[in-house]
Amino acid sequence: MQFDFNEDQVMLRNLVREFLTDQCPTSHVREMLTSDSGFDRDVYRQFVQLGILPFPERYGGGDLGMVEQAIILEEMGRVPYPGPYFPTVILAGSALQSSGDENAMARFLPDVCNGDLVLTLAFMEDDTGWSPNSINAEVTKDGDTVTLNGRKRFVPFAASADVILVVAREPGSTGKNGVSLIAVPKDSPGVSFGQEKMFDVTQRTSTLTFDNVSLPAENIVGTAGEAGRALESTAERAAVGAAAEMLGASRRSLEMATEYAKERKQFGQYIGQFQAVKHMLAEMLEKVENGHSAVYYAAWAQDDNAPDRALAASVAKSTMNQASRKVCGDAVQVMGGIGFTWEHDLHFYFKRSKHLEVHYGDVDHHYARVLDEVLAGRTAGAEV
Amino acid sequence: MDLRYTEQDQAFRQQVRAWLEEHVPRRKLESLDEKKAWHRKLYEAGYLGMGWPSEYGGRDARPMEQAIVGEEMVRAKAPAPVNGLGISIVGPTLIHHGTEEQKQRHIQKILTAEEIWCQLYSEPNAGSDLASLQCRADVDGDEFVINGQKVWTSGAHNSDWGLMLARTDRSAPKHQGISCILVDMSSPGVEVRPLTQLSGSSEFSEVFFTNVRVPADNLVGEMNAGWRIAQTTLSYERGGNTLSRYTRMQESYNRLLEVVRTVKRNGTALIDDPHIRWRLGKVFADMEVLRYASLRILSRLERGERPGPEASIAKLHYSELDKAIQEVFLDILGPYGQQIAGLPDEIALEQDTEEFEPGSWAYSFAWSRAGTIYAGSSEIQKNILGERVLGLPKEVRADRVQAAAQKAESGGNGEN
Ligand SMILES: Cc1cc2nc3c(=O)[nH]c(=O)nc-3n(C[C@H](O)[C@H](O)[C@H](O)COP(=O)(O)OP(=O)(O)OC[C@H]3O[C@@H](n4cnc5c(N)ncnc54)[C@H](O)[C@@H]3O)c2cc1C
Repeated sequence: MQFDFNEDQVMLRNLVREFLTDQCPTSHVREMLTSDSGFDRDVYRQFVQLGILPFPERYGGGDLGMVEQAIILEEMGRVPYPGPYFPTVILAGSALQSSGDENAMARFLPDVCNGDLVLTLAFMEDDTGWSPNSINAEVTKDGDTVTLNGRKRFVPFAASADVILVVAREPGSTGKNGVSLIAVPKDSPGVSFGQEKMFDVTQRTSTLTFDNVSLPAENIVGTAGEAGRALESTAERAAVGAAAEMLGASRRSLEMATEYAKERKQFGQYIGQFQAVKHMLAEMLEKVENGHSAVYYAAWAQDDNAPDRALAASVAKSTMNQASRKVCGDAVQVMGGIGFTWEHDLHFYFKRSKHLEVHYGDVDHHYARVLDEVLAGRTAGAEV
Repeated sequence: MDLRYTEQDQAFRQQVRAWLEEHVPRRKLESLDEKKAWHRKLYEAGYLGMGWPSEYGGRDARPMEQAIVGEEMVRAKAPAPVNGLGISIVGPTLIHHGTEEQKQRHIQKILTAEEIWCQLYSEPNAGSDLASLQCRADVDGDEFVINGQKVWTSGAHNSDWGLMLARTDRSAPKHQGISCILVDMSSPGVEVRPLTQLSGSSEFSEVFFTNVRVPADNLVGEMNAGWRIAQTTLSYERGGNTLSRYTRMQESYNRLLEVVRTVKRNGTALIDDPHIRWRLGKVFADMEVLRYASLRILSRLERGERPGPEASIAKLHYSELDKAIQEVFLDILGPYGQQIAGLPDEIALEQDTEEFEPGSWAYSFAWSRAGTIYAGSSEIQKNILGERVLGLPKEVRADRVQAAAQKAESGGNGEN
């Protein structure tokens, strides 16, 4: 049993941290706020070219696991990185990989791996649920052509994506049956974009409307109507990945608040000497460390294909949802007025966490899933 | 990262499980002799003091093996060993700090429960602020003469021996005048007065010492080095066996899952109430995190790293979580959760408490309130985390202000 990172994993973390410190300091994050796309394509390309993607080597990937992706995303949460890594690699990438569709992978992954292709996944709709029951967008097949209709919301970095993987269902189907994944090039006729302006300004999301979008049937990823399983596994990886990013944002917030508590004096003493402040920071530390255990256990469970992998993903996301709310929020409290300024970087973490809280499953979603998994007996069991 | 149990670990688990299946007493242990006999059986099977060096009756077992035994005992509903403090605190203290004579004299008898031990630290005016203890041990020839009072001493009424912290130098700053001494509880002048606890049973006591004579050979470690020794023993207490605590929670949870499937409220099975489902999901998620965190600690221990101040995270986590979980259990169970005897079979909890009280939801609930008080209260753990892990400056405390003033006056060497 070995819970800590191995040497390669430590090296990966250092590599990513160095790159981001160098190429993506918070001054860069601030610059990106006013840019159109919200990110720097060169930085993105260079980052992806570090060879750290999870995809098979035959497509130019680094064949890395979810633990490694969690390490990368935790580092991104510490920046917090603005850009389409998550939608490209974790959302669309996982969907492609778990679809098992070699043609689709061969078509997209090499360009993803060299940084030329940005992808995203359009799942969420007006009802903002994060399960197949919330899918109403429809896809119909007629010979060699498919036609797509519907509306998607909060699609991450859709305006910058070259190809959008859209989740839609066959008319009349329900639940996870009849759900398909369709690769839609962004300039396809009938696709329209509406930029959404979000509280976390580093996130660029769009409302997408598909109005009789007509595409060759080969744009269906995997088998038509059978994307349910691939999407389940994508959702698990998204939950773990988002939790990792929140972990990074939380740990960074804790560090900033701790530093401040050691410097700031009021009433003739450091505020960190007040027990109310000290205990708040101690509780934040506990949340961060437990969050670390939850995130990396869940990432490992994905890689190991453990019987409790879905359970662990939901545990990680619900845990980080609660933890980051407390940690990033209390960091603002510890920093007082300064913490409430735009000037100070703290708000980036506060908002990134808040953003991720409601995506990829909120606590209600994940607690329900946890109980379902428990009742279905898909738990670890001590003898595993 | 690799979180799989090795084949060796799994084989060991099967072996422990099989042994427990065969040997766990079928009926409740009533007398002290019966409890001692069970303890002895556990020891003879090699399941107590496992991590101790073989020369002192242990088997140099790995932390993982100890954790497995802890988990399997909970799972098998095995009664706890009767000499718990002897095993968890006194033995390790003697192994690390005792003289060879002390080790030869005591360790074997701790393992076999021939002699039961208690921990004589807390006093009426020295709880969290343990270093302000006043119980005195004055040197008189080759003896200590002990006068004073201890309190909250778990198991004192059954104990043959006590591991005591006493003041041996009253002129020294408070942390520096304390020694660690082994006290024969049958010595003249020792009086044990049991206290009834919140749960209704009498597991802890106040203990009075009036001119109790103890051979000077019973000093553990150096004279006036008791504080440092106590710090190491407290760290055995903290964070040590979180996995078995998790397993205990999980056993109760599993039982609750059975209960909510059969019991109805307002005409609906509890399991179908969305509000209850939400809580059951949350509790399980929270418990899982404790399991993951326990594995993380365990994997460090396996590598030979000792838990430092981070052990406070584990202590804080499991004790606070236990409180939260027990509250949810009682919420879900309604009045049944507070019934301590005569519950319908389909609702009763079979698991006895570690303190030998018959299993009931209410007793588990009651004990969850103790966990955040003993072995360093939650507030003390947060101080430790704030100061020793995050490196925040120490708080301004009256005793520190006084010590600093005294030091300034005398040019002496005050603590803190
Ligand atoms: C079931 C049980 C079994 C026990 N068994 C034993 C035993 O076998 N042997 C033994 O020696 N002792 C034993 N104890 C005693 C235990 O170690 C003490 O209760 C503990 O150290 C707390 O001390 P206290 O009770 O005097 O509370 P206090 O120290 O008076 O604390 C009261 C409250 O004040 C808070 N507080 C104290 N200091 C600070 C501070 N610096 N900052 C913030 N808050 C603070 C505490 O957190 C607590 O909430 C046992 C206690 C219990 C409940």
